[in-house]
Parts: sequence; C-alpha cells; structure tokens
Amino acid sequence: MRSGMVFDIREFTVHDGPGIRTTVFLKGCPLHCSWCHNPEGMSPLTEIIESRSGKRTVGRLYTTEQLASILNRQASILTETGGGVTFSGGEPLAQAAFLSDLIDKLNNVHVLLDTSGYAPARDFDLIVQKCDLVYFDLKLVNREAHLHHTGVDNTPILENLRMLARMNIPFVIRVPLIPGVTDTDENFTAIAQIARQLADLIRIDLLPYNRAAGGKYAALKKEFCPTYDESRQVNVDLAAFEAAGVQARIAGSQPN
Amino acid sequence: MLDLATEPSLLSPAVSFHTVRLDAQKLRVRNLEHKAVRSKAAPNLVAECDREALSWPRRAARLVRRMCEAERPYIHPDERIVFTRTTPSVPPVYSPHQWIEKTAGRTLHELGPISNICADWEKVLSQGLLERKRVALEARRRLAENRDAVEFLDCAIETVEAVLDLAARYASEARRMGKSDVAEILERVPALPPRSFREALQSLRLLHAVVWMGGHYHVGLGRIDQYLWPYLSHDLEKHYLDIAGAEELLAEFFISLNKDSDLYPGVQQGDNGQTVMLGGQTQDRRDAVNELTYMAIRVALYTNMIDPKINLRITENTDLSLLTLATELTRRGLGFPQYSNDAVVIPALIANGYDPADARNYTVAACWEFIIPGKGMEVVNIGAVSLPLAADQAIRMGLSAHESFDTILKRTAQHIKKQVRDLTRSYSHLLLPPAPYYSVLMDGCLESGRDLSCGLEYNNYGIHGAASSSAADALAAVRKFVFIERSVQPEELLAAMAADFEGYEALQDKLLHEAPKTGNDPDADKLLARLFDFLADACETVRDNGRGGRVRPGTGSAMYYVWLTRGKPEESGNLPIGATADGRRKGEFFSANLSPSPQAQVRGPISVWQAFSRLNYRRICNGGPITMELSDSVFSDPEGLSKCAMLVHTFAKLGCQQLQLNTINLRTLLDAREHPERHRNLIVRVWGWSGYFCELGPEYQEHIIARHLYGG
Repeated sequence: MRSGMVFDIREFTVHDGPGIRTTVFLKGCPLHCSWCHNPEGMSPLTEIIESRSGKRTVGRLYTTEQLASILNRQASILTETGGGVTFSGGEPLAQAAFLSDLIDKLNNVHVLLDTSGYAPARDFDLIVQKCDLVYFDLKLVNREAHLHHTGVDNTPILENLRMLARMNIPFVIRVPLIPGVTDTDENFTAIAQIARQLADLIRIDLLPYNRAAGGKYAALKKEFCPTYDESRQVNVDLAAFEAAGVQARIAGSQPN
Repeated sequence: MLDLATEPSLLSPAVSFHTVRLDAQKLRVRNLEHKAVRSKAAPNLVAECDREALSWPRRAARLVRRMCEAERPYIHPDERIVFTRTTPSVPPVYSPHQWIEKTAGRTLHELGPISNICADWEKVLSQGLLERKRVALEARRRLAENRDAVEFLDCAIETVEAVLDLAARYASEARRMGKSDVAEILERVPALPPRSFREALQSLRLLHAVVWMGGHYHVGLGRIDQYLWPYLSHDLEKHYLDIAGAEELLAEFFISLNKDSDLYPGVQQGDNGQTVMLGGQTQDRRDAVNELTYMAIRVALYTNMIDPKINLRITENTDLSLLTLATELTRRGLGFPQYSNDAVVIPALIANGYDPADARNYTVAACWEFIIPGKGMEVVNIGAVSLPLAADQAIRMGLSAHESFDTILKRTAQHIKKQVRDLTRSYSHLLLPPAPYYSVLMDGCLESGRDLSCGLEYNNYGIHGAASSSAADALAAVRKFVFIERSVQPEELLAAMAADFEGYEALQDKLLHEAPKTGNDPDADKLLARLFDFLADACETVRDNGRGGRVRPGTGSAMYYVWLTRGKPEESGNLPIGATADGRRKGEFFSANLSPSPQAQVRGPISVWQAFSRLNYRRICNGGPITMELSDSVFSDPEGLSKCAMLVHTFAKLGCQQLQLNTINLRTLLDAREHPERHRNLIVRVWGWSGYFCELGPEYQEHIIARHLYGG
C-alpha cells in the first residue's frame, strides 16, 4: 500500500484545466524557484502553518486507496462537465510511484498533470502515459539562469519536453512571467523556437506575475527572497510567439 | 419564441436601451433625493379610531385609507412608472396601552403585522381592483347574515376605494404636469386589468407599495416572469413594444423598488424581502422560462441594486445559457440569484400536502422559504431549533453517564423534539392582526368573506434547523475518538470543553483537524442527515399547529448562527453555548444555513454538496440554502463564467434543494482581516493559485483588498 504526501485537495479549480476539476497538490518539489507561490509545496515533510486564524499542520499522508476513494466519489460528476482531476504541487512527479498507482485506481476520469517537467525520464514517461492532458511549466531556456533562479539544471526539463512531443498526448506550455527573469524577449524567443517544433502543443499560456506571490511565507516561518525586482511591470509582448507561428495567450484573458 | 441558444445578442448581459434617463433615476435613488419630498409626520389615527370606537379590522382599513389620503402625489418629470412614497412612517392603530391589552396572552410574530407572504399578483392584476370590489360586494350580499364577514368585506372595500382614489389623484397630478401618457394609464389601472406591459408594471407598483403602507413588511413579488409575461408577449407580438423598450420599463420598475426601502421595517437595511422568482414550471409542467426571465436578469445586471432580490427555479435540464447569464449576476457580489431545484422542491411540497398545481407555482418568502402565492398564510420562520445545543447537551449528559453513542443520538433527538414542541407551543396563541387590504390581493378571502389573518389554503409554520454542520461535527468527533478509536476519554473531553480548551490545545487540535467534518467526510455527512431526520420526526409529531397547519422543518439558520453563539438579546431562554466537541471555542460562530462549519477546512463545492444531497428533502421542505462563497477571480474570464454555470447545474444534478452563491467582495475581505476566526474558509485567488485569506501575511491581505477595491 503506497502513501503520498498531499498538501491540499481543492475542488472547482477553474484555472487548472477544462471543465470542473478537482486539483490534488502533492507536497515536495526538487525546484526552489525564488518566486514560488506555494512554499508549503516545497518540502516533502509536514509543516506547521501558523497565522492569525490559528495553527494547522500542512501535509497529510494518503494511501492511494484513501485518495482514490475521495476522487472516485466525484469522478462521474467531474466527467459530466468535461472536467476531471488535476495533479499539481509541489512537483507531482516527485512522487511518481504513488501517483502512478493512484491514477490506476481512478475510475475513468480525465487526468491533467501540472508539472515542472523536472523528473527522471522514466518517471515522466510512466505518468504522462496515463494522463489525458499535460500542463508543462517552462520557465527559462537559458541553463545558467535556470540554475540560478530555480536551483536546478533545466536539461532534464527540456529533454522531457521533447519526449512529451512524441507521446501523442496534448499539452500546454505554461510560462510564469517573472519580471526581468522569464519575461525577457530572449527567453520568449527561445521558448517560441522550441515550441514551434513540438507536435501536440495546444498553446502557450503566459501567467502574469502577481505581487502576492510571497503571501504564504510568513505563516510558514520562511523567508521570501525574490531574485528579481517585484515592482517591475512584466513584459506581455507576444510578438516573439507570433513570429514563430506559435499560439500564445496571456492566461486569465479571453481566449482567441 | 426566439431560439436563445442561437441568438448571441440576447445572451449578452447588456441591456439594449439607451440608459441615460434611467442612469439619472438610479443616481437620484442612490443619492436619496426622493427623501426630500417626504412629509414630516404620519397621520395620527388612534384618537380618531377611539372616537369612533372602531373595531380592529376597521382600524386596519382606516389606516390604509388615511395613509393613501396622506400621500402627496409626486411625479418626477422623467418618470414613466410613478409612485413615490411621501409618508414617513406607518402610525399605530392602538395606543401602547391598548396594544398591550389587545395582545395580552398572545404571541405576536416578530413586529406583529402579517409579513413574509406573497400575494396572488396574477389574479389582482388580471382582474383589476374594480372586479375585486365586485367580488367583495357579491360576497357581501351572499353572506349578509354573517356580521364578521360583512365587516371584513366593508373594510376590504374601503381599502380598494382608498387605492383607487390615490391612483386618481396621481392621474390628475400627471394631467396637471402635462404628462398625458402617465395620466391615461392611471385612469385605467389598478382599477381595470392592464392592457399593456407598462400598465401592468404601473398597476403592480402602486398595489405593492400600498401593502407596505398598511404596515406589512417582507412583501414578496412572486413569479413576475410568469404573471407579467402575457402583457409583455402581447405588446411584443403587436409591436407596441420592442425588447429595448420593455427592458427600460422593467428597469424603471426595479429602480422604483429601491426608493422607499429605508422606510421598510426589517431586521436590517436591505433585508426587506422584495423577492422575485424567475423560471420554473408552468401549471402543465412545461418549462416556464421565457424572454422575460432573461430580461429580468439583464435588467437586474443593469440596475445593480439590492432590490428586487432575484430567485431562479432550475432543474438539471435548465439551459446553460440562462445559468451563464445568472452567473453574471452572481459575479456582481449582490448575493443573488438564489437557486431552487424544482426537481427537489416540488415533490417535497406535494409530499407535504400541497396540491400539485400549487406546488408547481411556488415562490419564496423574504429569504428562502417555499410558499404559494395567494394561497399561503404561513408563518415560515417561527424560530430555530438549535441543533448544536441539542447535540451538546446530549454529549455532555451522555459522556458524564458513560452512555453509548446510540443513547447520545437518542438524547439529541429528544432534545430536538422538546425544542420543536416549545417553539410550536409558544406559537399556539399566535395573534395575526387583521389585514383587509392584503386580503384583497389573496386568493379566496373576498370570496369567502374571511380576512387573511383567519387563514388561507395553507397555514403551516416553518422552523429552521440552525447550525446543523456544527452539531453534526460535534457528534462525529465524539463518535470517532471516544467510541470507535477510544483515543479520548469522556472525562478528558468534558474537562477540555469546560476549560474552553485552555490547557487542552493538543486535544483541540485533534478535534479540529483529525475529526470528520461535514463536507469532508461521509461519517459526518451521515450524522448531518440523521439530525435532519430527527428534526423532521419532531415536526411530524405536531398534528395541528393551532391554525390548521403543520410544522415544516427547514435547513436555514437566518441570524440564529450568531444568536446561538452570543445569545439573542431579547430571548433569555436562548443561552449561548460554550466550547463544543468539534473543537470550537466558546463565542466562535456556528455554521450558517447549509454550509460546513467555519472551523472546518473543506475541499470545495462538490464534496460539500454531496454531503448536503444526503438530506431527505421530501421531509424538509421549509427551505434554507446551501451558502457558498466564490472568489471573484473565478470570473476573470468567460470560461470561468461558464464553469460556474456548470457548477450550478451540478448542484441540481446532485439533488440539492437550494443554493446561494456569493462572490467574495470587499466587505467580506475587510471583515476577514478583522475577524480571521470567522473566515477560515475564505479562499482568494492570487495569480495562478489560491490561498486561505487569513493565512496570508498582512501586506498581502492589503494587496488583495486593494485589488478588490479597485477591481483590478
């Protein structure tokens, strides 16, 4: 019986894929992006959140049976709306064996994987094969910059992205717009160049930075140390994508 | 009928008329300019009534007459639908001393006058007041031997004449101002049946306003898209009116409902019960949605005012386009529309003795209680059973005596039964003052020569089953920890509750975070369903409420979730409850209506609605909505809007009864900043993520508040 560490289960997450969805947030992430808005998703261990509304433990172990039972109770309802279940995090692939067992136990429901793409190729392959749609975060194409801002090398991410394009699974690339970091014309151009070669890519979603990203750190007794100037306006010029013939949009605005 | 699914222009939330004139009207109402035309004092009636030694019914009729006479016709040059109240208050018909004498030994409902019902607007409009008067005269001849009937009918006729006289004075004022269109309409309605949509709205405006002037309150408007539709469809067919013109008239009517609302007695400003009900079924079970249904929502979007309060009857087959338009309204954060599920409500009403045709014609009272227009003299809110009190007493007694969990449940049921009995007994001497004018608007009063206060077809009482989730959670925690796991000793739990968890923080944490909670866990959900079974059992033991009706259990809480916590000032019997076994500390709020307890963190609407779909609504037919707040960021794109509409569909599919969706707005956020303990479940969306508002750092809370302030 496998167990997985989960930091939240949220229903009706309207920005996490098609239809009405329930998102499972798996705890633990190999990346440490300085702009991370879910700091409780970083550590794979339980933590205490303490705020003016009280104290609670964040992070709970679920067996695959327990979690599948919660999700299966609503699977048919979600399916009827064209929705399903989204696995997000943290990095869901960090608990690939658990996730694989869990998906096997789900009753025929649309599964969306929301991943940083940072995982061993066989874990990535194992999970993506079982998914219906992938939201793939691509932050920075420049290797050094990626290492600097996220703490990890992006080579496996780019390799997994290329593998994804050969797997016959539809996917969306999502780019968090961090001022001066990911929103540069160079990064946009580099992403567009990669994207134009990828089969099954539906579109690119650009997620504008919100200055409340650091909101949860204090309650976790963590320090929020952005590696960028928060007050700068983000660049939302889609020209680089248009030039490459890649469909891109600012998420939260009307789709074309 | 236009095919709305393929007519995107009609689905647009925007109204199609030029809004300049009504923008000015809205502004005047918002600036309270109409207050300037109010007279200083209301007429004084007591001396006159005493001098003539009038009976109570005659005083009630005299009140309506004097109030109508005291009205000074006021027409603003840009108005097409007129009537602005100028009397500042409704005077008493008895002196305080006489009032005490008159009401000694009797129970008054709230302020006393008949309230919280809905007239048979369809009948009154379609007959006109002259026909109502003819019906009264005919009954008077038929019942000439019956003194009470004759007196009642004379009183009713007196009020009809007062209203006709008021309409005539408005008509001459319009003539004087050279507004012959307004004058012509008022020379016809409300005396005669309207010939057009505009006449119908004018008639309704005047007839409705006079109900308030008679001292009644929570005056519902019922199914406007049904009873106004014949007039509108006639005008549209004959091309007397186009959609834009109709919208403009309806908007003017809606705005007029906001004019006098500061004069209305109610619990708080805005709680005035001017509800309308849209959609639903026709008598022959067809879909009742028509163009006026859509139009009413569009117009409410335009007026963006708190009146009228929109209710929408739906089923799982309701067109998604209608729900999407309704969701636009939810997005405004006014707290409506409120949805009722016909597939649940109608069978429940039929199972509780309502004629199927009446059941299909239901509307809601001021808040959510299901009532039948024109046929119900029901008192749908005689009080609330405190479910947490029942559970708490049973738990304390049961744990002290080392009883089984089944015994605790049995004790809970007994306590609920006792509360229902006490409440019903306190209403066995209910005194409803005579209401001759309101009787004119009802079905059967004039025909039978009996005042509304003597009762109508349906005379049930309603009781709220308040703070249900908190009660279920307390029982669920005891069941799990004391009886199944045996990880908590009964004495320890009792001591912790007595100490308000001071020094028992670990236990409190366990109760708060490891116990099953309603909306999260089937074990708690099942106990919630049991509590409502107990409540239904208790209500069903009341064979006659004293007025020939029964007692209907409901799922609302009104303000009781606060009063049960703090104690209701005027009811000494309603003592506040201390710390409870669900980990809630003394003074913290209970759950409101049907919602998870504020101490519980839940996954979201699907699990919560699955919990509430377990209730046996056939036995629980008084109403009471599932209350849920959505972040306004749900609506940041059109996709979110349609997802929210799908969510409402899902509510119907799951077989829940009633739903109130609120959009988180600034007021909620500000309250959450000051009182985080009340808003643990408040979720705000920030960037691509959601967070619990209360757990965000203060500067981030400020940021989000600022975002809501500036709508960014």
